[in-house]
Amino acid sequence: MTTAAAPFGSRAATVAGPAGGAAAIAASARQVTKAYGSGETRVTALDQVDVDIARGRFTAIMGPSGSGKSTLMHCLAGLDSVTSGQIRIGGTEITGLKDKQLTKLRRDKIGFIFQSFNLLPTLNALENITLPMDIAGRRPDQAWLDQVVATVGLAARLKHRPTQLSGGQQQRVAVARALAAKPEIIFGDEPTGNLDSRSGAEVLTFLRRSVDELGQTIVMVTHDPVAAGYADRVLFLADGRIVDEMANPTSDAVLERMLRFSAAETPVPAPAGPLTAGGDSRRNA
Amino acid sequence: MILKTSLRSFFAHKGRMALSLTAVVLSVAFVSGTLVFTDTATATFDRLFASTASDVAVSPADDGADHNEQSGGAMARTLAASVVRQVAAQPGVKSASGEVSVSNATIVDPATNKSVGPTGGAPTLAGNWYETPNSALRITSGAAPKGAGQVLLDADTADKAKLGIGDQLRIITAVGDYRATISGIATFTTTNPGAALVFFDTPTAQRELLGRPGAFTSVVAYGDGSRTDDQLKAGLVATFGRTYQVKTAAEQAADNQSDVGGFLDFMKYAMLGFAGISLLVGGFLIINTFSMLVAQRTREIGLMRAIGGSRSQVNRSVLTEALVLGVLGSTVGLGAGLGLAVGLIKLMGAVGMHLDASQLTVKASVPITAYAVGVVITVLAAWLPARRAGKVSPMAALRDHGTPAEAAANRIRAGVGLLLTAAGAAALVAGSRSDSAGTGGALLGLGVLVTLVGFVVIGPLLAGAVVRVLGAALPALFGPSGRLAQRNALRNPRRTGATAAALMIGLALVTGASVVTSSMVSSATSQIDKSVGADFIVMSNNGGLTPNMVKAIQGTPGLSHVSRSKDIGVVITSPDGHREDTSINAVSPTYGEDLRVPAVTGSFEGALKEGISVDKDYADSHHLKVGDPLSVHFQGGSTRTLRIAAVTAEDNQLYQGEMYIGLDTAVRALPADRLPQDVMVLAGASSGADQAYAALQKSLAQYPQLQVKNQADYKALIKKQVDQLLYMVYGLLGLAIVVAVLGVVNTLALSVVERTREIGLLRAIGLSRRQLRRMIRLESVVIAVFGAVLGTGLGLAWGITAQRVLKTQGLNELTVPTGTIVAVFVGAAVVGLLAALGPALRASRMNVLAAIATD
Ligand SMILES: Nc1ncnc2c1ncn2[C@@H]1O[C@H](COP(=O)(O)OP(=O)(O)OP(=O)(O)O)[C@@H](O)[C@H]1O
Ligand SMILES: [Mg+2]
Repeated sequence: MTTAAAPFGSRAATVAGPAGGAAAIAASARQVTKAYGSGETRVTALDQVDVDIARGRFTAIMGPSGSGKSTLMHCLAGLDSVTSGQIRIGGTEITGLKDKQLTKLRRDKIGFIFQSFNLLPTLNALENITLPMDIAGRRPDQAWLDQVVATVGLAARLKHRPTQLSGGQQQRVAVARALAAKPEIIFGDEPTGNLDSRSGAEVLTFLRRSVDELGQTIVMVTHDPVAAGYADRVLFLADGRIVDEMANPTSDAVLERMLRFSAAETPVPAPAGPLTAGGDSRRNA
Repeated sequence: MILKTSLRSFFAHKGRMALSLTAVVLSVAFVSGTLVFTDTATATFDRLFASTASDVAVSPADDGADHNEQSGGAMARTLAASVVRQVAAQPGVKSASGEVSVSNATIVDPATNKSVGPTGGAPTLAGNWYETPNSALRITSGAAPKGAGQVLLDADTADKAKLGIGDQLRIITAVGDYRATISGIATFTTTNPGAALVFFDTPTAQRELLGRPGAFTSVVAYGDGSRTDDQLKAGLVATFGRTYQVKTAAEQAADNQSDVGGFLDFMKYAMLGFAGISLLVGGFLIINTFSMLVAQRTREIGLMRAIGGSRSQVNRSVLTEALVLGVLGSTVGLGAGLGLAVGLIKLMGAVGMHLDASQLTVKASVPITAYAVGVVITVLAAWLPARRAGKVSPMAALRDHGTPAEAAANRIRAGVGLLLTAAGAAALVAGSRSDSAGTGGALLGLGVLVTLVGFVVIGPLLAGAVVRVLGAALPALFGPSGRLAQRNALRNPRRTGATAAALMIGLALVTGASVVTSSMVSSATSQIDKSVGADFIVMSNNGGLTPNMVKAIQGTPGLSHVSRSKDIGVVITSPDGHREDTSINAVSPTYGEDLRVPAVTGSFEGALKEGISVDKDYADSHHLKVGDPLSVHFQGGSTRTLRIAAVTAEDNQLYQGEMYIGLDTAVRALPADRLPQDVMVLAGASSGADQAYAALQKSLAQYPQLQVKNQADYKALIKKQVDQLLYMVYGLLGLAIVVAVLGVVNTLALSVVERTREIGLLRAIGLSRRQLRRMIRLESVVIAVFGAVLGTGLGLAWGITAQRVLKTQGLNELTVPTGTIVAVFVGAAVVGLLAALGPALRASRMNVLAAIATD
């Protein structure tokens, strides 16, 4: 365990060392604006957003549908370009990078967990987990890999194809893949959105542990107050702006904040419906 | 409603449909192009023959085996000038002219010492110029030839050889060698398909072409309108009895047509065969396209079924799409076919067959065939996946858009495929063991067909095993792209199998053909090595060798001996009463030195002195042995009883099935004017073969139509001829391969679309564009090489069986062309790379986010 933990320790140390204040920031957005379309159909998905993602912390992003959560995450992860402003990942300015450099950045520094369809159906679980390293031409750190696999509880399923795994198991493989490459930061867009509450809890617990025990940095978009409750910090987005944030959230506090928030947004009573119902309907889908 | 959905879906998938459409277009174009081309060629010849035929023609009686008389070296048969007068005197005959026409002349431009006549199939005709009411040629410049030393040349040949009035021509005929000045140029009133023609005035033609003043080769007559051609013929037959043969215009045309018709038919069937192959391959492409479209739409179809669409409605919607595709493809294909026909006409022009592209003959049967073929094949090919689509239960379709588990279907498929392949293989083995080439050939044909179908059926199952092996090295060689490519090629074996099967067909035929032709070359070479003792071989491109040529050879210094050889038309009656109309070889006594024909019993040399040698096959089937008598009727001469002096072996194509007599025997049996020219002269060098070769070439330089070869050059010539055949086959099979490549493109393009989300995911987690492109390229190469493995395997089996079957027919040596097989593999890999270009580019250009978001 000590050997496996070592890389984390050393990395944290080097980053913390010379860069000073920046050391605590894994990713940041400065005055980021993202607009789709032009003229009449122009939609401003992000409106001058400033955000810092703390290293070694679990950050959740919440907000109503269409508020720009996915857009923010995609921009932070270098999957999408911004209209103006700057994005930095671990001290590297990524706005203006070419596709080749962005690809390399995603490959080496970023892990992804999507809501669904995270795995290649032609590869087995283990191959999916090591895929980012395969692509990079790196040999996986075997001890670390074993630890990740053991933590995710997939040791017995490594040779299985995704179709032979349950939805929760598939998401856990995706989490393992994100962790195995030891990225600077992991992004999840509703990683538990397709899971029932028990599987969702498994995955979230695992994400939490990887932050606590492995020092991983995670950013997760979610609609679910319970999921947000696992995070260290929740950012609330509305209309492309960060409107609020909460440290050390509990699910009740988040739910309460959301209800308040929706009430302020729309005068219609009981507007929380779409948010929670949205989450529920996703679960049932 | 269904129609609307179908049409909308057709246009929504127009990119994918375009490739299937191309397959239909190519196949239909090939079929209709072939038909239009052969119809046009036939019509051109019909017009020509109609324009040249007189109302009735009288020629010397045909006494049997000499249909091809002049090219076989036989002398032209003649009739006397008095016959012209007799014909002219017939009631109802308005005019009669004596005609001199020989096809064994060679026209040489003395300035270049090159033959100016056609080198391909078309004849060089020399004759007398006379005016008739229905002449195929008209003098367009200069004047008709008058007296010795003047000649009229046809305009096409003059153009081609850049000759004009006042230029010299040398005409080499059976009689001699003659020089004349061009007095005029004559142009065909219809299209000249490629013959070269020269005309003299009648006395010159009789003297120089026939060597018989006053003689004609035929009499052409025109009626005054009071009688039909048949009545004219009846009158002439009553006059001449069976001394001469009389033909009406219709009969002349029919005769001529059957001469060219054989060649045209051969071309037609060969090209239609290849069209069939490309149609088959195109069928695969269409099946594949529709399978993929249907698989992609499984959910849509499930929804349609869930909301109450019936199975037949689903069927109908897919079939309607196919119908649209078929009709569209056939229409475009028909147009392209006309273009192809024009192209073929131009191509034939380059090899000497001139047809007029502006007189394209398009019969009603062409569009009918085009639509029948295009629409029927397309709808049939779409029906299979449609049926499968209709069978999917609505919930299964809605739940998942992957293909449903097909374990049971696969077991049936494996069983059927194995059974067919085994049956086909058994037929091939039986064929290769068969004693008779006839049954062997039939078994070979059956085996080829059944193994092909077997491989097509079993292909998807083989894909699993073979691709796994082929792809095993990929991850090691190409890292993650390699691994992903290998898995992708394996994920839908039915599709991989079907895509590869299309390629397999073309490659199997290429491999099979190249095994057979390489074996042909090596067999011929070894047979020449074994049996040909001659140092030099002299043959003519046009007709036989004239006595002057033979004299020139005999007068060449440095030759130890010269052996002559003639083909003699005979009717042989064996003691058991069997009559055979055939030709035998009359050769010089030294012939045995030049071609070592081993005698099973008796002595071959003895047969050349006296008697006859027969092949073992003939001797066995008529229970003959040395000493038995054969009655040999020499066409145009006497009937002799010849004793069998030798029974010869069958092991070599150079003498297999041939009978030999001495030259003297033939000279005694035939009147001098019925003795044909030599077809071949063989010679040995006394010392210094190179010097003798040079001397021989020098003394024959004046005859550009002669081919002088030493053994090495002769082998090279045979190889060249076989190779030409092979290249033609390759060219035609190229079409099937092009269609198959389109299939690979199609499969990849559709796979890329299907895997959009996967590609998005891969890109998101860091697969570079280059790696992505490489992944698709490798998948493509794996599919193509898999096709090559199946194709070469099948082709080798076919080729080897064919060689075994034809073993007794002179194909005694098997040569597997490793170079070609390596080329097939390399070519397949290249084809795979090329096919992947478009799809790979498309995949790498995908927007990552949009790709992830698709569902
Ligand atoms: N490709 C696009 N083209 C145009 N507009 C877009 C595009 N993608 C997103 N948008 C718009 O940008 C805004 C933010 O979208 P985004 O997907 O970030 O929302 P979200 O917060 O993730 O919503 P949800 O909770 O429904 O996933 C929305 O108004 C959306 O309509
Ligand atoms: Mg979203």
